[in-house]
Amino acid sequence: MASEAERRPLGVFECQLCGLTAPYSYVGQKPPNTQSVVLLEESYVMKDPFSPDRDRFLVLGAQCSVCGRLVCVGPECSLFYSKRFCLPCVRENLGAFPAEIRQDLEKRKAPPSMRSSGRACPGT
Amino acid sequence: MAAPRAREARGHRDHRRVPSEEEALEKWDWDRAETRRLFEDAFFRDEDYIRQGSEDCHKFWAFFERLQRFQSLQTSRKEEKDPRHPKHRIPALADLPHTYDPRYRINLSVLGPDMRDTGRGSRLPPKRVSEFRRALLHYLDFGQKQAFGRLAKLQRERAALPIAQYGDCILQTLKQHQVVVVAGDTGCGKSTQVPQYLLAAGFSHVACTQPRRIACISLAKRVGFESLSQYGSQVGYQIRFESTRSAATKIVFLTVGLLLRQIQREPSLPQYKVLIVDEVHERQLHSDFLLGVLQRLLPTRPDLKVVLMSATINIALFSSYFGNAPVVQVPGRLFPITVIYQPQEAEQTASKSEKLDPRPFLRVLEAIDNKYAAEERGDLLVFLSGMAEIGAVLEAAQTYASRTQRWVVLPLHSALSVADQDKVFDVAPPGVRKCILSTNIAETSVTIEGIRFVVDSGKVKEMSYDPQAKLQRLQEFWISQASAEQRKGRAGRTGPGVCYRLYAESDYDAFAPYPVPEIRRVALDALVLQMKSMSVGDPRTFPFIEPPPPASLETAIQYLRDQGALDASEALTPIGCLLAQLPVDVVIGKMLILGSMFSLAEPVLTIAAALSVQSPFTRSAQSSLECAAARRPLESDQGDPFTLFNVFNAWVQVKAERSRNSRKWCRRRGVEEHRLYEMANLRRQFKELLEDHGLLAGAQEATPGDSYSRLQQRLERRALHQLKRQHEEGAGRRRKVLRLQEEADDGSSDEDRAGPAARRADDSVDIQDVKFKLRHNLEQLQAAASSAQALTREQLLLLKLVLARGLYPQLAVPDPFNSGRKDSDQIFHTQAKQGAVLHPTSVFASSPEVLHTEEPPATGAGGSRDDKDKMSSKHQLLAFVSLLETNKLYLVNCVRVPALQSLLLFSRSLDTNGDCSRLVADGWLELQLVDSEGAVRLLGAALRLRARWESALDRQLSHQAWQQQRQRRQRLEEDEEEAAPISRTEVAALSRELLQFMATKVPCSLRRLTGLEAQNLYVGPQTVTATPSLPGLFGSSTLSPHPTKGGYSVTDFLTYNCLSSDTDLYSDCLRTFWTCPRCDLHLPLTPLERVAHESACAAGLDGGPGAEEAAPEQPQKPSALQRPYRCDACHRDFLFTPTEALRHRRQHM
Ligand SMILES: [Zn+2]
Ligand SMILES: [Zn+2]
Repeated sequence: MASEAERRPLGVFECQLCGLTAPYSYVGQKPPNTQSVVLLEESYVMKDPFSPDRDRFLVLGAQCSVCGRLVCVGPECSLFYSKRFCLPCVRENLGAFPAEIRQDLEKRKAPPSMRSSGRACPGT
Repeated sequence: MAAPRAREARGHRDHRRVPSEEEALEKWDWDRAETRRLFEDAFFRDEDYIRQGSEDCHKFWAFFERLQRFQSLQTSRKEEKDPRHPKHRIPALADLPHTYDPRYRINLSVLGPDMRDTGRGSRLPPKRVSEFRRALLHYLDFGQKQAFGRLAKLQRERAALPIAQYGDCILQTLKQHQVVVVAGDTGCGKSTQVPQYLLAAGFSHVACTQPRRIACISLAKRVGFESLSQYGSQVGYQIRFESTRSAATKIVFLTVGLLLRQIQREPSLPQYKVLIVDEVHERQLHSDFLLGVLQRLLPTRPDLKVVLMSATINIALFSSYFGNAPVVQVPGRLFPITVIYQPQEAEQTASKSEKLDPRPFLRVLEAIDNKYAAEERGDLLVFLSGMAEIGAVLEAAQTYASRTQRWVVLPLHSALSVADQDKVFDVAPPGVRKCILSTNIAETSVTIEGIRFVVDSGKVKEMSYDPQAKLQRLQEFWISQASAEQRKGRAGRTGPGVCYRLYAESDYDAFAPYPVPEIRRVALDALVLQMKSMSVGDPRTFPFIEPPPPASLETAIQYLRDQGALDASEALTPIGCLLAQLPVDVVIGKMLILGSMFSLAEPVLTIAAALSVQSPFTRSAQSSLECAAARRPLESDQGDPFTLFNVFNAWVQVKAERSRNSRKWCRRRGVEEHRLYEMANLRRQFKELLEDHGLLAGAQEATPGDSYSRLQQRLERRALHQLKRQHEEGAGRRRKVLRLQEEADDGSSDEDRAGPAARRADDSVDIQDVKFKLRHNLEQLQAAASSAQALTREQLLLLKLVLARGLYPQLAVPDPFNSGRKDSDQIFHTQAKQGAVLHPTSVFASSPEVLHTEEPPATGAGGSRDDKDKMSSKHQLLAFVSLLETNKLYLVNCVRVPALQSLLLFSRSLDTNGDCSRLVADGWLELQLVDSEGAVRLLGAALRLRARWESALDRQLSHQAWQQQRQRRQRLEEDEEEAAPISRTEVAALSRELLQFMATKVPCSLRRLTGLEAQNLYVGPQTVTATPSLPGLFGSSTLSPHPTKGGYSVTDFLTYNCLSSDTDLYSDCLRTFWTCPRCDLHLPLTPLERVAHESACAAGLDGGPGAEEAAPEQPQKPSALQRPYRCDACHRDFLFTPTEALRHRRQHM
């Protein structure tokens, strides 16, 4: 059974492209509570909130290996091709990627922003 | 926990013959169970990400099969790319693999068994291992994508909520102000989001109150889920019987009532830093009171922040109540809604029956069918005033639905079983719409998605309260404009909608702007009691946001005084203190206290719980003969509480016998099992309360002696816990597709009809049963149920006495002509109301003859007074739990009690004539006894019993109060005198005598006084002519003239000789010479004086006239007893004490 400390969030992950936020509980390549799975990049990981199983993890995002931006794994923000690339970087360097990736990219949309613009406040 | 199974499987494998590699490669078959098991053994071990036999394991193989098919379709098009690709200048891009492989798109890797453990998996062909591992990688990647997709969707939805733009604003405002009002309509997301904004901003110790328990649970789950700590413990809830609170909890959802109780214990509420009071616009009684308490509390807790959340109704009221608190107003998110006014024409006046005319509703169904294509989705929600109206429309709509095959019609109201309520969330098959017929429960409490059409009848049935008659009345009202808007809004949550209003626009304009707050329409007993126990001062001057009607408050205070909860100065009595802590009706609380004194706690606990929940008898079973027959053995002709008592006990026995299915047992008898679970919960809570207050000895550990059965018990509990966890972790209830009417109409759900084999695995677990067994000590319950069956006749009678005393003064007298009437026409009268009838669920409705006196009055005689006033020793009254007015006035939950004895024991006011042969109880029931001597003797016995019962109860309560105080002070003041508890033998003697008293057979007549008679009941204050001296009868109490009734006050309830009646005038002439057999006294005495002498003489007192002189037993100031006395014989005026007057009069004889 995972202890409370292991599951406590280390901080809040925020995608620098779409603004998605979620608390993460681990950063690295070996998610806690499992020996059989390793991650191929330094990832921000949380416990899978949709699974009752305590050792299910969910990778939230990682740094773009070109520009270093912290991006989520959502298809509108980044892709993985042996490394993590944010979509702006992929678009800038399309030629470096195989045709399959290029075709795939055409299908993707711009990220929907999750940031909300604040409204004027009455009490100030 | 799964270890033994896995080990077994592995042991199995070791003895298997492993096929040689070539053999395996040639006829490799992934579908073979054995092949799969080999891989599962290697890759899906206990410590692996996927475990053998888990749901995930099954999902993987399904995924694997799909992947295999997909890959066989794709021809291997592995043409090599240009190998001389120029190196990229950016290092990260320089070493990308140029030959594309989907594998490179996956950001994780699975360690195979060969890499970790040389022994394992080595016998598997490497080619197959890599095939398998590749599939596994894709499966895990797929799972990641799916979960992330859900997360992103959730966040997007949260961000898109109207309130999302105001989150910062709310936090900012809360920083600067102590109170903030957040106003937003349903759907703006305030209830789920504001708690999360507070959490995210680092707040902890947050309490969020909800008016309903169910909302506490669902919001805690939702907020826990959305804040992605679903299985963590930051978010919890606390309701009457359940709590998920822990040390890690930062925000707790709880009911208003529970928060008030916490304030009661710790008035400064130190455990919270932020309070969110949700749904304040509903103006529930407790919520209004909480606002008042907070308004007073806030100045003393400047660090406490309060967020009031409201629909956009009357916001200024809340803001100004808290010193013009800032308001953050959030617009709702509603799609445009077309309003169509369809006022009902005068047509239904033609059929002016009680039943609602369903035609206007059917016309809307038709209109929708004509105007909108069946493929266009969108369900219909119809708001009706009550259950009867729902029934009327349901019948007609189902006929229409079966003809058109385009509708599934579903009722929705609070009396439905949970399972039936849940059906409204199911989806209709394609081309079919749901038509939900609902009370105003769907206005704010229940949100159903996919509603496009709303029909608003404009009516609501609400309990209104008549403080004069202390009568709850279910009445139909026009709704308010605010409710009408709320109803309309339900059509525009998922898209543009249509709202049909079955009234005119001018009607709408005439509606009240807001609904009447609860405080103005319900009984305030419980509120006043709570206010008293919280020491908030005089309820009359409490600064309510809107004050209750003064008459209601006065009635409540008077009622509590009548019930003995408040004393004359309106302070809480010991019994009142206790009642304030029991979250039940005062009447029920009294029963609990009385019952515990007579060692009847166990049965009274059950009955009190049974009377505090809704009737468990389902409506549909009312008409079913089978149900009625199955239920009959459980019925008790003593009254409905005893029937409920039997039902509960029988159910517990069924639960205890493992082999039987309690769900089925309930269904067969037309019993809603959910209510029985509620009873069990409530019963346990009552029991704990009684134990806490020293009224019931703490539960003895009922653990079986030997270690084997202890182990058994432990294992059993563990298994139950596991079942519960599995259920909670499972997806919960999935939405089902509804069936068309023919099949779904017979009241049973799919699950009932399907055999056990057809059920899904998680359905076969009766989770309610599991929770029940975890929460309750079934053995203790069963013991209580078994001992209930072994109750002696005496105990049962005593139990009835306890109920009757608790229920007093809720009494009804049968109409004298009932025995000549049909079963269904039996009528009863209460003090304030005439012509009440029995509720159809009552046992007396089917067997009213048990209420009749033996000799039915001659029907032909036309009801002369003689007939009605038939002398009988079998007159009975009904003590009832509540009076409910719908289309008729119903007595709910009745017990029959012997009239004469009950009135003598319980009446708050008892008036007599000169020889006590005529008694009037509480100014409305007249009893005439033939034998005046017997009457006096009975009265004397009643007086003595009442005094003893009262003192026993007082001692019991003061002992309990003393114990509690001692606990609190922790024996700091040891010298304080201990209040001795009442001894068992004393209680036994008292119960014996009470039973003897109840068993006396005294013929009498029983009659409800007419209004005129009641008005001219008393002789009134007058110059005193004679004062009886009756030491033996009335104890040592001194008689003083009653200031208004006339006659003499003997005790606080008994007034002697105050009834105006012809016979009084001659009472003095009834003297006859009589010789006392004991002391040979020979005097002309009235019957009363005779009995008084007898009982004094028998008690060993020297009761002879003149004896008082020698033994002045009344050392009180004699002057106070002197009254002007004019002697009719010597025509002189004196100032005499009662004894002096008697002595003087005797001179003339
Ligand atoms: Zn992103
Ligand atoms: Zn980048």
